[in-house]
Order: sequence, then structure tokens, then C-alpha cells
Amino acid sequence: MTTLLELKNVSKYYSKDIAALSNIHFSIEEGEFVSVIGPSGAGKSTLLRCINRMIEASSGEVVFNGTNIRKLGRKGLRETRTQIGMIFQHYNLVTRLTVIENVLHGRLGYKSAVAGMLGIYSQEEKQQAIRLLEELGLSQHMYKRVDQLSGGQKQRVGIARALIQNPKMLLCDEPIASLDPGSSKIIMDHIKNISASYKITCLVNLHQVDVALKYSDRIIGVNKGEVVFNGKPSELTTDMIHKIYGSETGDLIFEAGERNAG
Amino acid sequence: MRVKPYNKAFMVIHGTLLSLVLLTVYGFYSFDYKDVNFVEASIQTLQNVKMMFIEPHFSHFTFQEALYQVAITLGLAFLTTVFGAAIALFLGIFAAQNLTNKAVSAVIKGVVAFIRSVPTVLWVLIFAVAAGLGSVAAVIGMTFHSVGYLIKAYSEAFEEVDKGMIDALKASGAGWWQIIFQAVLPSTATYLVSWTFLRFEINFAVAVAMGAAAGAGGIGFEMFMASGFYYDIQEVGMITYFILIFAILLELVATRVKKNLKTAEV
Repeated sequence: MTTLLELKNVSKYYSKDIAALSNIHFSIEEGEFVSVIGPSGAGKSTLLRCINRMIEASSGEVVFNGTNIRKLGRKGLRETRTQIGMIFQHYNLVTRLTVIENVLHGRLGYKSAVAGMLGIYSQEEKQQAIRLLEELGLSQHMYKRVDQLSGGQKQRVGIARALIQNPKMLLCDEPIASLDPGSSKIIMDHIKNISASYKITCLVNLHQVDVALKYSDRIIGVNKGEVVFNGKPSELTTDMIHKIYGSETGDLIFEAGERNAG
Repeated sequence: MRVKPYNKAFMVIHGTLLSLVLLTVYGFYSFDYKDVNFVEASIQTLQNVKMMFIEPHFSHFTFQEALYQVAITLGLAFLTTVFGAAIALFLGIFAAQNLTNKAVSAVIKGVVAFIRSVPTVLWVLIFAVAAGLGSVAAVIGMTFHSVGYLIKAYSEAFEEVDKGMIDALKASGAGWWQIIFQAVLPSTATYLVSWTFLRFEINFAVAVAMGAAAGAGGIGFEMFMASGFYYDIQEVGMITYFILIFAILLELVATRVKKNLKTAEV
């Protein structure tokens, strides 16, 4: 196992004295499935976005696959971003375009400006898109406009768009926060399968502790911009969960007793 | 018992209304009526209206010629709208705050606000200084104002675009132009088309006026000749009907196109 991603003392200040992230330090191995949990506003999204520089960190290093992302120029950053797929809570698809057009958007980073602008894709790219849609069970919706799909289907389109990048890593920003429990399970199963079968490293922001426990190889707990827990799901004690969420016993919907129920 | 208090707002509103009433009364009192009999004048006006709209006829040109002149006016409106839309689409992208930096957007929006605040007719007359009164000045002046109008409309449509969508493509490594063409334009196409149609309708009306005011030709110029040169009220009526019918046709086409765009959405 080699280290794919390493964050060294990453900090982010939105204003002078309020730290969204302070001295974040952790590394992720290739092929690992890591969940980030923590209360709203703890900095989970900021953390994820600092990795692909959708948000610029204030200090520290983000080393991905041997290169320090924070030192990259515009072109280098674009190239690195093609290696990192991203999945969003609100899917962030172009709703007026068809499913397959949205999936092919994942290839834009590899294309010349003009070919991308005009939407000219190669035969292999189109075939790969169709393959991915079949794998995710969306082949009969291929030519539908995205705004006709349900939430769960939209998220699967989002996953296909990230996968067609042939990424080394997936960043998932609360992928199931807007979905019902059934769709949530389908999406998490898909992400887990993808991680295992394509050997893609996954870093997933989650609100649901039980989901994190069930799917992750490792869990990172964040509170007030600091990593307060970093370990295996089996090491996550009830006390630790309360520490992550800054809560008292009995204040959370989730309690350790339910751990084996899912 | 009083319900409304005697406060400042009350005094201001009532003071304004009272002074307006006094000014109106004084205005009517101070008119120079030139011994015109009100009843007689009213009857004559109605007679003119009757001649204009009940007995319209062609005398100085034929039906085919009228069609041709309307086509010229439509052409003027179409040309200026197409020019305006092409330029505005490009500049509108740079004027949208979410797509460029704040300074560029502010500069374009400031200039555009100035262009829009001057009426189209004035722009045509300003350009007439260089190009001479005629179709060239009309095209440049109308294009100028169309650009100003459409940049505002387009850039506001672009600013409504979901930020997450742009972020998603950025995060996948897509470039700026790719994002514009693959996400921003497809998402705003219906708005762009409906704003452009609205401007086309405005430009048609302006083109009629420009025919007369700037000698740009077309049906407006014929109307100016019929009224100011030949004093042929019946022909003015005919031309009015012509313009009215074409305006209605335009409206119908616009509605149909917009409807089709909307149903394509579902």
C-alpha cells in the first residue's frame, strides 16, 4: 500500500481569526475508503474542497500522488483535477441536458478547449459512458433530460460523471444527505463497490455515523476545524462520537446500541 | 375621531396632490385656445379618426409596395437584433459576476447602464452626426441600444446559473470556455431566446419610428410621407393597420416559439 494523499498542517482562515481548518494532518492509502464525520459547520466540506483547490487553503501542503497540489499552476491543477472525481450533495448536474451528455462532461478536462466547447467526444468515450450507465442501472434513461430523474438517479449520474474521468480518487461531499434511506443505500453500495472493484480511493463526507461505521475502512472525526479522531470504525467509541459532535450522552439520534442494527 | 395622524408623510402626500390640482386648473386656464370651439373640434377629430380607420385606402403606393416596405422595417429590426444579440452574448458572459472577476463585470455593467439610459432615438441621432441621417445611423444606433439592453438581460440570466454546477465541472478539470458552452449556455438558452424576442419586438416598434425620424426607410418613412407630406389621413390609417397586423403576427410567432421551448423542457 502506498500513500495517495497526504495533508500536512493544512489550515484555512475565512477571516483573520476564525479558523475553518487548523493544522489538519492525515494521510490516505491507495484504495482506502475513508469517511469524514463531524457536526455541521465543522469544516468537512472545506476540508474536501481544499484537496482539489475548489477552496484555497491558507497554509500547509496537500500532496496527491507525489505532487504538492498547492504549488501547481493553472494547467497542472487542471490535469490533477482530472485525476480526482467529485460527487456532491445536490448532484450539480446540468439539468437541461441529457443523462449521457452530463456523464460525458467528466471527460472535458482531458479535451482541448474547442473540442470540449463543442462537445465533440470520441467513440471510446461514448462507449465508456454507456458502459458506466449500464453498470449503474441507468441505461434506459440515457437520453432523458436530467430534470426528469429522481434524486437517487441523479446521484448515480453524478457518480458516472466522476468515474468517466478515470480518477485515482473520489471526493464525495455528503452524497446521500438529500436522499431517502433506500436511495442512500443504493448510492453508498455503488460507491463502495466502485472503490473496491476499480481500486479508487474514496474520501466521503457523511452526516450519518451509522453509515460511516458500516462502509468505511477508516473514519476521520472533525470538530471545529480540527481532526479529533482518526482510526478504524471498531475504535470509534460512544465517548469518541460525543467528543466529535460536542454533545452529551442522549443528545444524539444515533447511539452506540444501534451500531449492530444496520 | 381621526384614524390617520397628522404626520409628515400625510402632509407631503396631501400637499403634492393639492399642488397638482392647482397646477392643472391653472394650466387649463392659461391655454391659448385660439378661438377653437371645443365641441366643433371634437367632432372634427372624430371625423378624422373615422376617415383614418373606417375608410383607409392606398393612394401613393400599392399593397405589394406596402408589404415590401414592412419587410424593410422588419429587416431593420432583425438586423439590429441579430447584431445586438451576437455582441451582447459575448459581452454578457464577461458582465456576469459569477463568470468573471468583479472589476471587469463592474466596468461593463457601468458602461451598459449609461448606454441604456440614453433613448434609442438619441443614439441614432448621435450616430447620424458621423453617418448622416439614414439607414446606417439607424442600424448603428439601434444596435448600440440593443447591445446595452441585452447585455443586462443576458448577464442576469447567467448570474442565475447554479454555482454548484459550475463548481462540479471546474472540479473535473474543465476549462472556462468549456464550462460556458457546456453548462452555462445550455442552462440559460430559454431565457436568452425569450429576451432576444422581446428585444426584436421593441426593435420593430423603434424601426417604424426610425423610418420617420431618421429617414431609415421602410413603412415608417411611408407613414411620415403620407401624414406630413401628402396630408393623406386615409393612407395613414391603412399603414397603421399594416403595422398593427405585423406586430400581432410577431407576437404570435414569439409566443409559439417560447411555448415550444418550454415544452421541450419537460
